Amino acid sequence: MNTTLKYRRAVVVVGSIILAAALQTTLFLRFRPFDAAPALVMLVVIAFARHLPAEFALFTGFSAGLLEDLLSQSALGLWALTLTTVAYLVVRIRDRLEEDFSLLAPFVFGLSVGGITLFAVLGTIFGEKTLADAGFLRNILVPSLYNVALTGLVLPLLTWALGVSDKQNPYQV
Amino acid sequence: MWRPTSVDRPTGVFIGLIIVSLVLITVDLRASGAGIGGTLREGVQDVFTPVQRVVSVGTRPVAEFLEDLSDIFSLRGENRRLRDEVIALERELVEAKSLQTRVGELEAILGLEPPAELDSIVAQVLAVGVSEFDHSRVIDRGRSAGITVDMPVVDEGGLVGRVISVTDEVSRVQLITDPSVRVAVRVDRTGETGVLTGRGSAPMVLEMFNTDAAVVEGDTLSTADGRFPAGIPVARVLEPARSEVSFSLRTTAEPTAQVTRIDFVRVLVFTRDEAGIQDLEDLERPPIIIPSDEPPAEGESDEGLPTETSIPTGEGEGEGTTGTGEEGG
Repeated sequence: MNTTLKYRRAVVVVGSIILAAALQTTLFLRFRPFDAAPALVMLVVIAFARHLPAEFALFTGFSAGLLEDLLSQSALGLWALTLTTVAYLVVRIRDRLEEDFSLLAPFVFGLSVGGITLFAVLGTIFGEKTLADAGFLRNILVPSLYNVALTGLVLPLLTWALGVSDKQNPYQV
Repeated sequence: MWRPTSVDRPTGVFIGLIIVSLVLITVDLRASGAGIGGTLREGVQDVFTPVQRVVSVGTRPVAEFLEDLSDIFSLRGENRRLRDEVIALERELVEAKSLQTRVGELEAILGLEPPAELDSIVAQVLAVGVSEFDHSRVIDRGRSAGITVDMPVVDEGGLVGRVISVTDEVSRVQLITDPSVRVAVRVDRTGETGVLTGRGSAPMVLEMFNTDAAVVEGDTLSTADGRFPAGIPVARVLEPARSEVSFSLRTTAEPTAQVTRIDFVRVLVFTRDEAGIQDLEDLERPPIIIPSDEPPAEGESDEGLPTETSIPTGEGEGEGTTGTGEEGG
C-alpha cells in the first residue's frame, strides 16, 4: 500500500471518530427518542475494524475509547478497554462475517449489547455506579437497536471512505 | 518440558492494550479524577469544544426537525394536559397571591428581610454525555464567565444539578438524576426532611426519616442542604410514601426541571455552606445503634463505657472526596 493511501486512510479514521464523538454528544442532545441515543463511536469502531489490519483496528478501538473517556467523567481507560475488546472481537469474527452479509445486523446488535454491558459491568466494578441506574437494561438495548438501524448507512459509508469495496478482500487495505 | 503458549500478534497487542487500559483506570481512580487524567480531560475538552460548537450549529436544524416530528405524536395529549395544568395554576396563583400578602405581613412583624436574589450566569447546553450511563451535560460557559466547581444549576422548573468540572470555556454539570447524587430535601407542604437519590432514567427515590410524616402524590420537594440555596424546587412526589419495615419511608419522585430536555440553564453564583455539608455528611452516615442485651462481664464493666455498640454503616465510607456527600461521579 502506498504512503499517500495510508495517510489518507489514517485521516479518514481519525476524522470519522472525532466526527462520531461530536455527533454523539451534540446531535442527540435534544432529539432522544425513548430517551436514548445510538452508540455512534462504537459503531464507527466496528465499521473500521472490519477492514483495517488487525493491529491498526485494535489501536483504533483503543484511541476512540480513550477519546470517549476524556470527554466523560468515567475513569480514564474504561471506554478504551471496552472499545479495544469490541475491535478485537470484530477482528476475530470478520472472516465469517464477510461470507454472509445477512449476519451483519445481528452481529452489530450483539457487539453493541456486549460492549455496552461490558462498560456497565466494568464501571460498577470500578465504582461508577453504572448498574445502579434503574434503567440499565434500556440503556443497553435501545442504543444497540439504534446501532442496528444505522448499520445500513454507516458501515457502507465508512467502507467507501476507506476506499475499499465489500467485495474486495477486506484486510488488504 | 514447559513451553510458553504461542500467542498470535493481534492477541498480543490486544492483551497489551487491555493492560494499558487497566493501568490507566487504576492511576485515574487513585488520583480521584485529578492529576494527569484531570489535566488531559481539561485539555481535550478545550480542544474539542470548537468542534462540538460547529457540529452543534450544523446539526441543530436537523435535530429540531426530528424533535418536532416526534413531538407531533404527543401533541394532542400534551394539549389536554396543559389545559388542565393552566386551570390548576390559575387556582394556585390566586392562593399564592393571598399567601404572599400574609408572608409580607408576617415578615414585617418579625423584622425579617427576604433572601436577596442570587446572581446567576445564563448558559446553553452544548453537549450530552458520551453514553446513556453518563448523566452529565456540558454547558457553554466556563471559568472565564465566573463559574466554579460546585455551583448549583437550575432551569425554569427547578434544580438541574451542580457543576463538577470547569475549563476556561465550558463546564460539566452532573444531573440530579445521576445514581451517585443524593440531595437533602424538604417537603414544602409539611416541612419534613428526607434524602432524594438519583436512579438514572428511572424516577428518583425519596427517603423520609420520620416514618409518621405523610407524603402525598404531587408534594413538591425543595433543597434543604448546604450545597444549594434553600427552597429551590427539586422534585415532585409521584406516589404516597408507604411505610416499610425499616427506619424510613420510601417513595418515588420526578425532577421538576426538564432534566432530559434542557436547553438553557442558569448557574447560580452560590458559595457552599461548609459547616452544613459536614452536618449533612454526618446525617448520611448515621451509626447503627445496637442495644447490648447481655450485661457486661464482671470486671469488664466500666462506668465510662456506653451500653450500646456503634457500628459505622460502611456505606459511603471513603466517599465524598469533594466534600459534597456524593459518591464518585
